[in-house]
Amino acid sequence: MSPNREPPAPIVLVAEDHIHDKIILEEVFSRAGIKADLRFVGDGEQLLDYLNRRGRYAEEGAAPTPALILLDLNMPRLDGRRVIRMMRGDETLRHFPVIALSTSESQKHITEAYSIGINAYLVKPANIPDYVAKIASLWQFWMATASLPVVETPPP
Amino acid sequence: MNDRPAPEKVDPTNCDREPIHIPGAVQPHGVLFAFTEERFEVVNVSSNLPQFAPLQPGDMLGRSLADVFEPCSAAALRAALDETGATVGSLIPVRFAAGGAESVGSIHRHDGLTFVELERQEHDASDAHDFFGRTSGAIKRLQAAQTLESACAAAAAEVRKITGFDRVKVYRFADDFSGQVIAEDRDQAVESFLGLHFPPSDIPAQARKLYCLNPLRVIPDIDYVPAPIVPNLNPLNGQPIDLSLSVLRSVSPIHLEYMRNIGMRGSMSISIMRGERLWGLIACHNREPRQAGPDARQAAEMIAQVLAWQIGVMEEEAVTSQTLKGKAIQRSLISDIEQLHDHRAGLVRNSAALLELMGASGLCLHSREGVTTLGATPPEAAIERLVNVLGRAEGTELFQTDRLSALLPEAAAYADVASGVLAVPLSRSPPRRVMLWFRPEVAQTVRWAGDPDKPVTNVEGELRLSPRKSFAAWTEETRGRAIPWQSHEIAAAVEIRDLVTGVILRNTEKLERVNSQLARSNEELEAFAHVASHDIKEPLRHIEAFAGMLGESIRPLGDERLSNLVGGIESSSRRLRNLIKDLAEFSQVGRRAKPLASASLQQIAEEVVADLHQRIEETAATVEIGALPDVHCDHNQMRQVLQNLLSNAVKYRHPDRPCHIRIFTATLGEDERRSDAAQGAATRICISDNGIGFDPKYAGQIFEPFQRLHGPDAYEGSGIGLAICRKIVQRHGGAVGVETSPGLGSTFWFTLATPPETRTQAPERSQP
Repeated sequence: MSPNREPPAPIVLVAEDHIHDKIILEEVFSRAGIKADLRFVGDGEQLLDYLNRRGRYAEEGAAPTPALILLDLNMPRLDGRRVIRMMRGDETLRHFPVIALSTSESQKHITEAYSIGINAYLVKPANIPDYVAKIASLWQFWMATASLPVVETPPP
Repeated sequence: MNDRPAPEKVDPTNCDREPIHIPGAVQPHGVLFAFTEERFEVVNVSSNLPQFAPLQPGDMLGRSLADVFEPCSAAALRAALDETGATVGSLIPVRFAAGGAESVGSIHRHDGLTFVELERQEHDASDAHDFFGRTSGAIKRLQAAQTLESACAAAAAEVRKITGFDRVKVYRFADDFSGQVIAEDRDQAVESFLGLHFPPSDIPAQARKLYCLNPLRVIPDIDYVPAPIVPNLNPLNGQPIDLSLSVLRSVSPIHLEYMRNIGMRGSMSISIMRGERLWGLIACHNREPRQAGPDARQAAEMIAQVLAWQIGVMEEEAVTSQTLKGKAIQRSLISDIEQLHDHRAGLVRNSAALLELMGASGLCLHSREGVTTLGATPPEAAIERLVNVLGRAEGTELFQTDRLSALLPEAAAYADVASGVLAVPLSRSPPRRVMLWFRPEVAQTVRWAGDPDKPVTNVEGELRLSPRKSFAAWTEETRGRAIPWQSHEIAAAVEIRDLVTGVILRNTEKLERVNSQLARSNEELEAFAHVASHDIKEPLRHIEAFAGMLGESIRPLGDERLSNLVGGIESSSRRLRNLIKDLAEFSQVGRRAKPLASASLQQIAEEVVADLHQRIEETAATVEIGALPDVHCDHNQMRQVLQNLLSNAVKYRHPDRPCHIRIFTATLGEDERRSDAAQGAATRICISDNGIGFDPKYAGQIFEPFQRLHGPDAYEGSGIGLAICRKIVQRHGGAVGVETSPGLGSTFWFTLATPPETRTQAPERSQP
């Protein structure tokens, strides 16, 4: 690795079913000045495919290991909550930090999310400056304050 | 009477015990034989036999029927006995084997014996045609009568014509067995008894019983000398001869004294039977001894029977027409109740017809929901007490009286409207509902034939009962009495009750159905609102985000017009988001509801003030919390109500004066208490401010969702706060309201049920 080349941007895997949310999230990352490689999957099944490098992600280099996973809890087909349960039950996937993105402020939903193994719960603000501020602080915490696990990429 | 032990105390009821069916003697105008039933051997004979035939009573015992009478007569008697088998047969001409004049015989069986009673044929045997002609004419005239009174008058006239007595009266028994002369036909020379009442003791119980068994009682001459029966012993049972069915039976000396008192020496009475019941008597009296012959008696008896039928038809007609009228009123009542959706309103609309049908002057429907009165009724407080008294005494049964003040002395105060009461319970179990029919006092003046209390006289040093000497009309005014309730009227009241309870039951079922439908559709609506608001939120959030991003991109360009346009999108979507949030909150009131529990409203109010302290301090408002009671509520929801009302009071403060807010409980007025009575004791909580107030004409409207009196620019908010308050309070079974004056301030209030255990404590809490 050459010291004068910029390090590759950390990969953030985002499970988000709605195109508008993708656009908004990209915009928010951009406005927050975050250099991240945002990879989107549309539902829980795709997320697992990505992490397990199968299906359309089976090809070499199609699914680089993410540093952080952002997960919309309400998704079609395989719902975010079930994905979390499956990941936490999987020896090879349980270490990934997963941040829940949700519109729900319900205490019940928040508690439930933590209890099934989410690492942080983030309510999507409607207001863009708020959203930008939240993502910036999230990024600051996970990418600078916290130390993340490093796992050897399993052989394909 | 002679062997009766001298009683210590004598009162008119002793008369009831006089054994008048076994006097041991007959009247001497006829002779009585008793035969064994199997072999027709004489076992008893009256001692006056020698006056009818050259025979001695003592020689007759053991003789057979065929021995006593000449063969034709014996055969006729045997034939009549074989044929009829009945107790009283037809009249048979009879001659003794030993000679003598022809007699008229009648036979009956009783107590195991066959009785033959013979009387002299007073006149030439009237031919059957004459008898038939007289009787059938009489019956026709009787049947032509249109009313009960005229039928009775016709019967009296016909009986007098046939029998020739000085006075023939039709005497009717009341329920208490006192009697009244309701028709009379008389010789002008004798005193009229028409309209007079006679006390029950005049015709005592055992005499009435005999009248039921034997429709005829004849006393040709009160000065008769009784002819003893020899021997006065029924060989079958060892008892005195029972003369219950005899026409010759010797009567009670008390009765003879009675006759003397009224100046009459001959009499005849015929029962008027309605089924098993002694309805009345046709009573014939004569100043001189008078014997109606057997023919005349039979004719009179037939007239009494026809009269009884006639009375029956008339009474049934009256009941039928009453029933038909009742049915018509019931139909009208049902259709009105269904049309008006309220049984009380239906009763009110039909009140005149109902009261007429029942012969009542007032009706009251008493239930937990209140008292509905029609016509003339006692005051409500009196009704309450009456219902309480009846509730204790009568349970679930019907109650009737024609003299309420005799049971409930205080009822004398309203005897003019309610001397008669018929109470028909509508429900078997609490909550009790009862229909009360009222009848006014009828200050009846009863003209008694003499003092109705028979005097007890002392004769020959022995206490002896004697009928009263004076028959001068003795008037008595009865107070506090109403016309008694008739059985068909009671039946009608029960039918009306059944109809009303049927309607109440149907309405309750309908209400339950509607309620459960409503609850279901409410739940669906809440679920829908919840989901809808959730789903609307998503795209709205996107709009807001995009507008925000667009705005941030555009503003640096400095184009004010474009910035304003984007700003419009931003602020509109913000408002829409708030509306949706409030709508979701409103729809959650029912979904988030928790069971009601006792909680201190005081504490809740203090919490709310603490929550809002920042806002209160910012606006320099003062909040004063009075003594608040413990209430039955959902703590969180009650907190929300107070919070909404308090923050409204702060929000709509008057710009020109310091904001002052009071939270206190208010005493309910009389009217409000009544309307709240269904909820038990209620507390009214008031939040009073000195703010801007508003026009009271909007007082109802502002509790509707999204109703606002101000534009969004003047005051923030979606207008859901008060709607949420109302919804919560309604869920608690209370009501909300506001009293307001523009520029002066508003007092918002709501009512809550006070938990029963704290009701008595409430006043203590308000003490310092």
